Amino acid sequence: MTTPATEVARPKVGTMAFEGRPVDDELPMVQQPGVPFIEIEALRAKEFIPAAKEALTSLIAEQGQAKLIRPVFNWAGRNSLFPLHWGLACCAIEFAAAFGARWDAERFGVVPRSSPRQCDVMIVNGTVTWKVAHKLITLYEQMPEPKWVVAMGNCATGGGPFRTAYSVVPGVDKLVPVDIYIAGCPPRPEAFLDGILRLEQLIRERKE
Amino acid sequence: MNGRRPGPDPRRNATQPDELKTALGSKFGDRILSVEPFPGMAGRVRFERKAAVEVLQSARDDLGFSHLSMVGGIDWVDHREVFYVLWSDAIRQYVLFSTDLPADDPRVESVSGVWPSANWHEREAWELVGINFDHHPDLRHLLTPDGYVFHPLLRSFKLHEPEELEVKSRHV
Repeated sequence: MTTPATEVARPKVGTMAFEGRPVDDELPMVQQPGVPFIEIEALRAKEFIPAAKEALTSLIAEQGQAKLIRPVFNWAGRNSLFPLHWGLACCAIEFAAAFGARWDAERFGVVPRSSPRQCDVMIVNGTVTWKVAHKLITLYEQMPEPKWVVAMGNCATGGGPFRTAYSVVPGVDKLVPVDIYIAGCPPRPEAFLDGILRLEQLIRERKE
Repeated sequence: MNGRRPGPDPRRNATQPDELKTALGSKFGDRILSVEPFPGMAGRVRFERKAAVEVLQSARDDLGFSHLSMVGGIDWVDHREVFYVLWSDAIRQYVLFSTDLPADDPRVESVSGVWPSANWHEREAWELVGINFDHHPDLRHLLTPDGYVFHPLLRSFKLHEPEELEVKSRHV
């Protein structure tokens, strides 16, 4: 058998490049200036843990824990948004369709949960009446911090066609703070996914 | 062949308004104000409001209208009206009972003791049309929040600005 004439250039196993440098603007992961960036080329599993431990220890000593943890939490939070699974009206149909095979919102880490204590996003998908208003607030208060609210559809945004009706809350922002408004009657699943991505952008830019 | 048929059973003699008038008039006299034909039903019986429970109990026990299908209220501006739609399994027909209430005192005895299913219907008629049902076991709001001060299906109800309605209907 013949050997290959030239050796293929491989990454050197067992080294780790690390520098606590200021952030480049092109790097999408880290937004805050002064936050370090860890670059790991290739590492065996048994070498990873001591290397990562050493890197993190020195980073924490240098930068402070809170400043270092915040982007990690933002990164983890925005990629695993758990919306509360409760349908109010026809927008809930589009909400459900967004989790079907065609749109598959789970590829963005969005998984609806049935308990408010496991959720961090409340998606108000439908007409909120005054009768259900205090239940909505109870559910919102049961959700752990940090939490966000998405008003999906015209009814949740401003009351929609029922704005002057005797029983309808004219916009869910009268009850809870709303972060993202999705227009449409009802909005299509693409609009819902766009709202989710904008919410992820919002979380990415979160400082506190 | 046990499926429900729409409309009266052709094998049975449909009840006519004069039969209703004979049966009820012999018992209640002039407390039955009128009995007249009504499209799609055995007839329409208007009775005096003080006799509501007795007349409807008699319709259930003597005439066989065992099922209370609906209770509702109407605002006719100068007066209000309560109507009861009853269904008889024996003759497979509906019948309409109604009574007029004065607008300044819309008050009638509850029939929740005769049909327990009247409970929620009367709650709804109370909160939307403002009809007071005496001796109702549980006259609470059904569709609107507790403490809601309007009767929104009255003709005198005006559409409110959202902010004004919010102040009066917020109960959280």
